[in-house]
Amino acid sequence: MPPPETAFTGNDRPVVTILSRLLRRLVSTLLVLFGVSLLIFLIARVIPGDPARIALGPRASEEQVEAMRETLHLNEPIIVQYAFFLGDLLRADLGISLYSNRPVMTDIAEYLPATLELVFLAGFLMVSLGLPLGALSARYRDRWPDDLIRLLTLLSVSAPSFVWAVGMVLAFSFAIPLFPIAGRISETIDIQVVTGFLLVDTIVAGRPDAFVSALHHVILPAFALSLSGIGQAARLTRTNMIATYEQPHVEMARAYGFSERDISRRYAFKPSLIPSLTVIGLDFAALLGNAFLVEVIFAWPGISRYGVGVILQKDLNAIVGTVLIISATFLIANIVVDLLVSVINPRIRLSEHGK
Amino acid sequence: MPADRILEVCDLRLAFRNWAGTTEVLHGIDLAIAKGERVALVGESGSGKSVTSRIVLGTMQDVPGVQVAGKVRFDGTDLAEMTFKERRRLRGREISMIFQDPTMALNPVFRIGALFHEVQKRRDPTIRRDAACARAAEILREVAIEDAERVLDSYAFQLSGGMNQRVMIGMALINRPRLLLADEPGTALDVTVQSQTLELMRHMVAQYGTSLLFVSHNLGTVREFADRIYVMYRGNIVERGPTAAIFNNPRHPYTRALLAAIPRLTGGGIPEIAERSEAFLEPMFIHPEVTE
Ligand SMILES: Nc1ncnc2c1ncn2[C@@H]1O[C@H](COP(=O)(O)OP(=O)(O)OP(=O)(O)O)[C@@H](O)[C@H]1O
Ligand SMILES: [Mg+2]
Repeated sequence: MPPPETAFTGNDRPVVTILSRLLRRLVSTLLVLFGVSLLIFLIARVIPGDPARIALGPRASEEQVEAMRETLHLNEPIIVQYAFFLGDLLRADLGISLYSNRPVMTDIAEYLPATLELVFLAGFLMVSLGLPLGALSARYRDRWPDDLIRLLTLLSVSAPSFVWAVGMVLAFSFAIPLFPIAGRISETIDIQVVTGFLLVDTIVAGRPDAFVSALHHVILPAFALSLSGIGQAARLTRTNMIATYEQPHVEMARAYGFSERDISRRYAFKPSLIPSLTVIGLDFAALLGNAFLVEVIFAWPGISRYGVGVILQKDLNAIVGTVLIISATFLIANIVVDLLVSVINPRIRLSEHGK
Repeated sequence: MPADRILEVCDLRLAFRNWAGTTEVLHGIDLAIAKGERVALVGESGSGKSVTSRIVLGTMQDVPGVQVAGKVRFDGTDLAEMTFKERRRLRGREISMIFQDPTMALNPVFRIGALFHEVQKRRDPTIRRDAACARAAEILREVAIEDAERVLDSYAFQLSGGMNQRVMIGMALINRPRLLLADEPGTALDVTVQSQTLELMRHMVAQYGTSLLFVSHNLGTVREFADRIYVMYRGNIVERGPTAAIFNNPRHPYTRALLAAIPRLTGGGIPEIAERSEAFLEPMFIHPEVTE
């Protein structure tokens, strides 16, 4: 008998590895956010037009405007203005919206959940439809299910989400009135706002009828928003799965009689997820950007529609606040994806230095 | 004596069909393995060894564009008469396989313990993870892995190639299959590790009474290993016989060329056969069977 073998490498503390990875990501995220705040602040200050004058309207007197400039620190050097801004930011104070006359934070707290609800549902559709479609396509490679899925996904990625949104409104709200045209929930339903996510709040309130109404309102915009993402996720998953199918470990799975179904759902699927997830994470973050047009088309009372409104009004505080919040959401989504990747990929989870 | 044959291959032909036409790569292979016997299939690269073993395994038949003719009988039943499901039922239970590169053949995102569990579910679908791991730890100790629990808790990429090869051997035998296919096992490993694990495999196969089809391009490796040898050249068997007869009295020009290449082969490289020769196309030579 050959000698026993004991040579071994390993890491006993995967949780610590993941936590330190998370910490490093958080620090870099804060740095990026700082950079974004500086950039957007500068941009907001250099565009022409006097914010105080715009806020007060053309009939306000010079003195009133001057007083306003004073309270907004608009007469200080720009670096001082930024210091004021940063100090306020640390206290979660984004200033007053010159347009709505409310704290920007209040506006954001009101509109952001609607957008997040839409984006999360779209992201959920993207993952829960895109990945299985891609896996199915790879499993039936070059047979009719694959041809069909490839055709559909090619169609879905060939037009941006606002085109789908317009098409769907025309088709399923006007031509065949299956879905409501605007809003988040039926006007006759009154629901106590807890989280701002109506799908959650209606469950908390124990109102199935309201939940159905909220779902009925959100599903079409979410689907329109996610459609090209579904296509992309499916195509990407197909490509990665096909590469995985070439791997010896899939041949091993077949040699041991594992069913094609199990191979497509687990043995080949899990390793293929690793390269897919990063890109899907970026797609997910892109939903946030695409939400701008979809929200306008579906009259969805979200942060994107609010953002468009404040930009047109040159409402500086609100613009800066909205961009910051959207960047923060984007960055957080990236961290979550990164964590998911490291949970799924043992190579990252178990290596001391992350990579 | 077909009764004690675990595998019987008669006039096996294989062709790949694509848009350019049909290419035949096996031109009528006859091969038999008795119960408990160890048989080696040897030949240069591209001679058709791997496809032969994939047909025996039953996976080649499912590849689109593949045409298989001839008979492959496993324990008396013709594979061609089985449904896809019945063929799959044999795999992992009655027939199993060891691969060239053990680290690549183990799924990268499943722990060794989880893989052992899945493999044992093939025989006993209700087996629980801890029972499966306990049994796996036993067989890992049989293949001389001391810290079996830690190995079961690891991923393949955390283990050395030699360790993975031992894991693979244990995994292949844990369901006590009746036929083990080994397609150039461990040629991806370095020579010392390869010979150690081959020795281990020989020991285990003997202990479990498993029949073995050992595929290699290296006559040197199979010398210690096989009871009988089939020499394959371009989709034909050119010589077959007991190991001693092949080594002491090679009759086919191609076998002689292969044997001449052995001394340079200890590194496990692909044999450099002088050149293609008309003589290699001579008909098959069958050594008389000697009863041991
Ligand atoms: N899927 C396939 N489609 C077309 N031809 C194939 C396919 N698989 C194998 N072949 C051909 O069949 C022949 C035999 O291949 P096989 O893999 O069995 O060779 P081998 O003896 O195992 O060689 P090696 O030592 O390189 O592994 C080769 O000529 C190869 O090109
Ligand atoms: Mg081969």
